[in-house]
Amino acid sequence: MTAAYVALEGGHVLEGRGRASGTARGELVFTTAYTGYEESLTDPSYEEQILTFSYPLIGNYGVRSERFEDDRVHPRAVLAKELTEDVADWLETEGVPAVDHLDTRDVVTDIRDGGAMKCGIAVGEDVTEEDALEQLEQCKAMSDHTDIGAQVSVDEPTVYGADNDGETVALVDCGAKGSIVDSLLARDATIHVLPYDAAVSDVEAADPDILFISNGPGDPANYEQAISLVEEFVEDTPVAGICLGQQIVAEALGGTTAKMDFGHRGVNQPVLDLDSGQVVMTTQNHGYTVDEPGDYLEVTQINVNDDTPEGLDGVDHDIITRQYHPEANPGPEDTLDFFDNVLEMAASPTQRAVPADD
Amino acid sequence: MSTDHDESSGDGRTILLIGSGPIQIGQAAEFDYSGAQACRALQEEGARVVLVNSNPATIMTDPEMADEVYIEPITTDAIAEIIRKENPDGVIAGLGGQTGLNVTAELAEEGILEEFDVEIMGTPLETIYATEDRDLFRQRMEKIGQPVPGSTTITLEEGESATGLSEEDLRERVEAAVEEVGGLPVIARTTYTLGGSGSGVVEEMDELLERVRKGLRLSRNSEVLITESIAGWVEYEYEVMRDADDSCIIICNMENIDPMGIHTGESTVVTPSQIVPDEGHQEMRTAALDVIRELGIQGGCNIQFAWHDDGTPGGEYRVVEVNPRVSRSSALASKATGYPIARVTAKVALGKRLHEIDNEITGETTAAFEPAIDYVVTKVPRWPKDKFDDVDFELTTAMKSTGEAMAIGRSFEESLLKALRSSEYEPDVDWADVSDEELESHYLERPSPDRPYAMFEAFERGYSVEEVVSLTGIFEWYTERYSRIAESVRAAQEGDFTEAAIAGHTNASIATTAGTDVGSVEQEVPGRTYKQVDTCAGEFEAETPYYYSARQNEFESGPLEGQAAAGELEVDPEIESVIVVGGGPIRIGQGVEFDYCSVHAVRALRELGIDAHVVNNNPETVSTDYDTSDGLFFEPITAEEVADVAEATGADGVMVQFGGQTSVNIGEPLADELERRGLDCEIMGTSVEAMDLAEDRDRFNALMDELEIAQPEGGTAFSKEEALELAHDIGYPVLVRPSYVLGGRAMDVVYTDEELETYIEEAVRVSPEKPILVDDFLENAVELDVDAVSDGRNVLIGGIMEHVESAGVHSGDSACMIPPRSLDDDTLARVREVTEDIAEALKTKGLMNVQLAVQDGEVYVLEANPRSSRTVPFVSKATGVPIAKLAAKVMAGETLASLEASEQVPDHTSIKEVVLPFDRLPGSDPRLGPEMKSTGEVMGTASDFGTAYWKAQQAAYNAVSEGTAVVDFDVDGFENHFDIAEFDDVPQAIREGEVDFVVSRDRDSLEMAVEEEIPYLSTEASAEAYVEALDAFGGELEVASVTSRPVHEENWG
Repeated sequence: MTAAYVALEGGHVLEGRGRASGTARGELVFTTAYTGYEESLTDPSYEEQILTFSYPLIGNYGVRSERFEDDRVHPRAVLAKELTEDVADWLETEGVPAVDHLDTRDVVTDIRDGGAMKCGIAVGEDVTEEDALEQLEQCKAMSDHTDIGAQVSVDEPTVYGADNDGETVALVDCGAKGSIVDSLLARDATIHVLPYDAAVSDVEAADPDILFISNGPGDPANYEQAISLVEEFVEDTPVAGICLGQQIVAEALGGTTAKMDFGHRGVNQPVLDLDSGQVVMTTQNHGYTVDEPGDYLEVTQINVNDDTPEGLDGVDHDIITRQYHPEANPGPEDTLDFFDNVLEMAASPTQRAVPADD
Repeated sequence: MSTDHDESSGDGRTILLIGSGPIQIGQAAEFDYSGAQACRALQEEGARVVLVNSNPATIMTDPEMADEVYIEPITTDAIAEIIRKENPDGVIAGLGGQTGLNVTAELAEEGILEEFDVEIMGTPLETIYATEDRDLFRQRMEKIGQPVPGSTTITLEEGESATGLSEEDLRERVEAAVEEVGGLPVIARTTYTLGGSGSGVVEEMDELLERVRKGLRLSRNSEVLITESIAGWVEYEYEVMRDADDSCIIICNMENIDPMGIHTGESTVVTPSQIVPDEGHQEMRTAALDVIRELGIQGGCNIQFAWHDDGTPGGEYRVVEVNPRVSRSSALASKATGYPIARVTAKVALGKRLHEIDNEITGETTAAFEPAIDYVVTKVPRWPKDKFDDVDFELTTAMKSTGEAMAIGRSFEESLLKALRSSEYEPDVDWADVSDEELESHYLERPSPDRPYAMFEAFERGYSVEEVVSLTGIFEWYTERYSRIAESVRAAQEGDFTEAAIAGHTNASIATTAGTDVGSVEQEVPGRTYKQVDTCAGEFEAETPYYYSARQNEFESGPLEGQAAAGELEVDPEIESVIVVGGGPIRIGQGVEFDYCSVHAVRALRELGIDAHVVNNNPETVSTDYDTSDGLFFEPITAEEVADVAEATGADGVMVQFGGQTSVNIGEPLADELERRGLDCEIMGTSVEAMDLAEDRDRFNALMDELEIAQPEGGTAFSKEEALELAHDIGYPVLVRPSYVLGGRAMDVVYTDEELETYIEEAVRVSPEKPILVDDFLENAVELDVDAVSDGRNVLIGGIMEHVESAGVHSGDSACMIPPRSLDDDTLARVREVTEDIAEALKTKGLMNVQLAVQDGEVYVLEANPRSSRTVPFVSKATGVPIAKLAAKVMAGETLASLEASEQVPDHTSIKEVVLPFDRLPGSDPRLGPEMKSTGEVMGTASDFGTAYWKAQQAAYNAVSEGTAVVDFDVDGFENHFDIAEFDDVPQAIREGEVDFVVSRDRDSLEMAVEEEIPYLSTEASAEAYVEALDAFGGELEVASVTSRPVHEENWG
């Protein structure tokens, strides 16, 4: 059996069963979803993180690339109570260390009580506790990954649905999930996927009906170029954002963001729409949140559990953002109509350039 | 709709809650749990709750559960009377199972709800019709684009009758229907039945014709549904919740291990789903939300799907069925996730929004979320296979199980093995005698209660996973894990215990397998620790003490101690604490009564300021509600696992008197185990030794002789000759039974040498290893049951019950009355004396049940059991004296004097009548006899015996007062109420609908009566009582709440 050690911030080391070899370090987080492991493991927002599944049995229905959100596995390492052969083989091929036979409930409650923490992992025939501790030593804080966008974004602009008749979307790829593109394509949009550090001219070249900031990993403050794109275009072009995208929009318009203790990761986060009174279930994966929306944005939806902003609208601008993942995959399809609303807004913008001469 | 009240609270409103009546196959204790939870939820919101249920064994019918409690028949007449008295503002229909739903529909149809301005709260009636009428349902699903299995109905035209339909006419309609859904096999179902009665996969046309004819006759709306068979697909259930603002959530989904074609109540079920990918799961989740919205359901609802992997990323599904109410599955989902579906349903019915309802488990979140779970839950049904030799227990689309056990583990293997252990079922098979061929055809291909065990056996014989998958149709992921369990056992036999322990075996069973002792096993294997059920997979800190045990991983070994053993338990060792051991799954002979007793014990302890922990595994019950106890341990009931709880909690004592035979059985091994571990924890109340003495015939006989208490003459025979000799000495008739089985199994009364010889040859095969008991049968004796509480010095008699059926009918199947009516004062005084003497001799501390027979003024003792009995709740409901609570308190050190307890005799007569499961078990013998067969009970109370008996018959669905009767007994009086008819072929006459009532001992006639759902009686005693009831009943139901019925303080006897 392959040895495996997991070193937690503070120096406590857990022993487990090695399922995919290698060493890794990252921010230790957990998701409470019990299905959707393929989607989660290929979600770029997990970049630089070590993902713990709170559900004990992972990999039960195999691994199929049709269900991937990106072309590679993003977490640095994977922890579970029990991984199937299928998923262990896949992670081995991807070079992502995996450990099981752990008391993952203990790990989860440690994260809950201590916050998302640094973690080092060593898996292999001859690895020792020290190897894991060494990884822990080298682990950086999430906000210190200042160029994390480069790791997850496209290098060059790419166009999807060029022949579609719908709206044109400039999607700034800070680590976009494939399902966001799919959801827009399904609504007949043409999507220009632009690098996370796209220049103003790149956006202008796409001549979009809407500027859409994607989800992605890390601290929103590190996406300066995307922030400046929002500032640049918001007066003339409708803006939408998902997850990190919402945080970037808030940062751009005078709002603030903050790091959460351990974030929201799962497919059961309840969101209350303040207007309709209706609660919907959402997929979430974020460690940062909008703290103050600022004067140009109003909170339209909140998390029922902790009141954090889940949806923002522009006060005077055509802006809609969501902290959660309306594109689902994994998770509930309750909020897919977000994409209809976004494209409607793109089709018939209502905004007047009010703050232009502020 | 507009009301004068605050829309979202219960302030000032009176709500009528209708229970589900007696425990039956398909409708067990789950509605006691949901009803009890709803009562509390409604009262929290300021509503005045009026409750009606005919089942006295339930917690919900305790006087303190609602503002007014009525134990009355669940009929429109009785409920209309209650509505007249209580003037409720609303009725919640969806909490009382199919029974509650049906009666609410009838109340509406008869105009009673409108007349008294009673609003149907929560789910509207129109929705109920739309889900129960499968054709309407299909139309609604098609409207919202949801795929349903191909389906059509065969309907009787107006004026047609099922019996009058010609063979050709029937065949023509059935053939057309089969063609419409794509050919045989098909599923034939009758609408408006509970638990899928009379439905099944039909492969052949002749069988289908038969079924359709019967279905047309039994259906409330003369319809039989023919559907496409989706056998082999995976069956899912989704539990859905919706509020008035259209917020909808899924509480959980459940995956049936057995493929489609087996009723979900008969299937091994796992939560959450394991083998459906997220995309398929989300498609069904979205479909479930679309369906609940389309149907306008407010509250909880259950939606069934069939799904299979058709090669697309999400697979393909069909919507199979919707239950617009709380159900057995919702009880299971509540226990599996910690989300209290009935509580939230009740609050939603009052108008609350999900995000306005607290999540009591976490204390910081709301009901507007979907539970996340970080464990695997497995449910295993429990079948009454041991009680019905004549019945084929192949699992089909109709339910035959009486109850279920649930277990929680960190792997499927652990969860499955804990569930199988909890079900307390042992296949009656010696695998060594079973050939491979028989194993395959009889145990693997054919689904039965024995199949899980047969799968282990197959792997032991070297079958591959592929072979077992192809034989059973059970999905590969599961089958593979069965094979791992078998592998772990093989490793244990070779001395490596770790895998077997992690797979969920107990140390004790590993020790037995490996031929070693528990002490050495436990040093080598990982210990167990406790984890919390928190609704959120650890995301929030939870406050509720709901726990399960799990083995640590292979990197640890040896028993865990202190904090490590306690795991996530929040225990304060300074506080005195006691473990109450529950009764496990509901089965014949051990029903909801023992859950009632367990819950009362818990409440009594808490009233004394003692922390009460519950160990139980029945998801249907109140005892396993997270707020019943100070610590809920969802565990198998074995000495080892209960001792683990004692060790982890530091409990001071364990009560094993309240959970029926299940808890009593672990008394002795538990005492040994506690001692082995050196724990300072005692078995409370009457000693284990005294309980054993009461069950040891020889020692008990000697004790009775010493006390000069009469017993029927008898002895033990080790051969046929000895048996005959004994019978001659005693004189016929004699009662015969094997000495090695408990609970009346294989018991019989014989009147001649010939009958005795037949019994020995055919039924039991007496041998030196298996002797039989031969006892004087006290013919025409009056049988009595006495429930009493003793504190070691004084005895309080809860009640003396007189049986309606005479000796020869199992006491659990006999109707009985409180107070008795045919005993004189001297006899009653002797009954008291006998009870007191036995209680004293057994040093009873707690409950005791004594069964007595009175013949010619002499009182004989048949049996004495120093523990709770199934009549305890009936006695308490009839007299108002809470004897289970008193018992728990004296066991905890109080005295009857310090509790100021006194005996009470009711002025009215209460009758307990039983409900029998023969309609669910084709081929069973419907005659009452020495073997217990009833699943549940009802109570009827009135100022005279006749009316009370009549109400009990109504409540037991066995009341008929006019029409044509067949009477085979020499009992006068039926002719005043019925046309008495004679037929050459009675069964045929019954089948042809010419008979309305059967009073007979003829098995064929009775079986036909059962099949045709016609009331019947099988004993002379009940026939006499029935005539008396018919004569006495004047139409006045005497409906009254339990607390308003007069009782007076007086000692029994």
